[in-house]
Amino acid sequence: MFTSSTSRSALAVVVLGGVLLLTACEPNQQPDEAITVSSTDDKCEVSAQEAPAGTLKFDVTNEGTKVTEFYLLGEDGLRIIGEVENIAPGLNRSLTVTAPEGSYFTACKPGMIGDGIRNDFTVTKSEGGTEAVAEDSKLAEQATTQYASYVKDQTEQLQSGTKKFAQAYSHGDDDKARRLYAEVRMHWERIEPVAESFGDLDPKLDLREADLEEGQEWTGWHLLEKDLWPPKDDYDALNDADRQKYSDLLVSDTKILYDRTRDMSFTPDQLSNGAKELLDEVATGKVTGEEEAWSHTDLWDFQANVDGARIAYEDLQPLLATRDKELDSTLENRFDDLQKLLDQHRDGDGFVLYTELSKDEIKELADSVNALSEPLSTLTDKVVG
Amino acid sequence: MFQTFLIGLREGLEAALIVSILIGYLAKIGRTREVRAMWLGIAAAILIALAFGALLTFGPSTLTFEAQEFIGGSLSIIAVGFVTLMIFWMARTSKNLSGELRAATDKALDGPLFGLVALGAISVGREGLETALFLWAATRASASDSTSALGLTAAAVAGILIAVLLAWLISKGLLRLNLSVFFRWTGAFLIIVAAGVLAYGFHDLQEAGVIPGLHSLAFDMSQAIPPTSWYGVLLKGVFNFSPATTWVEFTAWWSYVIIVGTLFVRNLRASTDQSSQKVSVRR
Repeated sequence: MFTSSTSRSALAVVVLGGVLLLTACEPNQQPDEAITVSSTDDKCEVSAQEAPAGTLKFDVTNEGTKVTEFYLLGEDGLRIIGEVENIAPGLNRSLTVTAPEGSYFTACKPGMIGDGIRNDFTVTKSEGGTEAVAEDSKLAEQATTQYASYVKDQTEQLQSGTKKFAQAYSHGDDDKARRLYAEVRMHWERIEPVAESFGDLDPKLDLREADLEEGQEWTGWHLLEKDLWPPKDDYDALNDADRQKYSDLLVSDTKILYDRTRDMSFTPDQLSNGAKELLDEVATGKVTGEEEAWSHTDLWDFQANVDGARIAYEDLQPLLATRDKELDSTLENRFDDLQKLLDQHRDGDGFVLYTELSKDEIKELADSVNALSEPLSTLTDKVVG
Repeated sequence: MFQTFLIGLREGLEAALIVSILIGYLAKIGRTREVRAMWLGIAAAILIALAFGALLTFGPSTLTFEAQEFIGGSLSIIAVGFVTLMIFWMARTSKNLSGELRAATDKALDGPLFGLVALGAISVGREGLETALFLWAATRASASDSTSALGLTAAAVAGILIAVLLAWLISKGLLRLNLSVFFRWTGAFLIIVAAGVLAYGFHDLQEAGVIPGLHSLAFDMSQAIPPTSWYGVLLKGVFNFSPATTWVEFTAWWSYVIIVGTLFVRNLRASTDQSSQKVSVRR
């Protein structure tokens, strides 16, 4: 009857028990941190009515004449969080439980009958064990608040810069307009993912001729770019009225963007995904020289995109540092490497034109962007949750 | 002090009864090797429970409440499984022994050794952890006006010893019966006891939150049978009777009694038929 199958099941019991013992342990705190409970025949005195979340220890002494039990019950008064049974008169026993923030009941059950003598008990936010969680949300909030004010600041500068540019352009001061063009656009490029999130404004402001769809009216920066750096043949310059019309449009559309970004709020994953999108922008538009087909000021945009990604990363950095130090230092190093490479192509306040870059230099830049883009794509995983 | 004694008595009875009946049975059929094996399991369980109790009381970690209840509950249900197997093993051997075929059955009996060690260990270990925790708490308790740590421990140990004595007396008394009567009574008794253990095992799992329904009671007789009274203690110790019984416990108890009871009675009838047939052959 007691054959190998029973010994197998007995073995399973032993293994199960072992696993349970390994996984079902909690710290056995020192008594001096404990909440003391005095249970008498008609009273249940608990030394504290609240405690911080984490491991709680109740030191229960039976000072009555009947055997008693002590319970920690959930908010519904039904679910047992923990109990000690068989506390004989004069005896002291302890209950150690792990409890998250919330409302509870304590209950002594002298004579082991009925619902027991109950008291309210509150578990507050922890100052110790679960501190990291509380601080994380603070760090996340800080990151998103910082980023929101950064976006506000950039759109402000974009708006005032755009007005100056539009004025110079509409008044025929082409040299000044050409100078302002790349500089002002940097404010746009730094917050490009935010601007792109407005599906109606982005094409009005930043559409390239190559992306123009049938029947779509071309407006925005790149239309004026072409007029300021006209191709040698086959191009009809805009007349004064058109110049006025399109520059006014640029200003009013920028004003709408400005208004919409006043009270925008962000989440950490929007920051990290935005940083990644900016790097993708660099890889698909700037490093290929497609963005500024006429002015060839792609490196300004390149720098601005990298700036935007870097700001988002730096805002998230305190949060990331608590979760993945290695990724944090990798990102910091790759940003530095890319910046050093970009600095090699500086020329005065700005950069050399894209057309002056050699194939090898472009390749070098592209490789550096990819080297940053790859770890940056894992950032969202780390900062979310 | 008397309360402490009752706790020892109750926990002791829960463990000792099943074991003593089985040992009594083994002694009756002259299988001392198995008796020794069972004692081995019991000794191991006591040592392990005491060691764990000490570790959980004085060590750096303690078991979560759910884990304690889960272990207790699971062991109870496993113990019931073993006891049930034993009941039918007893049925088979007693049948054969009544046919004066002792030599042949010895061969048929090969192999229950490990099962008996396990049953002894589980039956004692089931209540052992809780009792050990209680005993260590008692040894640690500071002496107060009316009680001393030594007195409390002594009272609890005395309770356990009385439980063992009671269990031993029960099995002794049963030993005077002839084997088929012994089997009939102890078998029926074990079924009731095992049903109680099963029901309480489910209760533990309910407390651990593994099974719901801890607060849907089938009946509550706590006022009539206080759990701290001596009769409440005996009912709890012997039959695992809980004055406040949940529907899950109630269902488990009756299901076990009806199913195993039916099989047991059918078994009894079969063996009675067999012996009456033999009588007629001899005639």
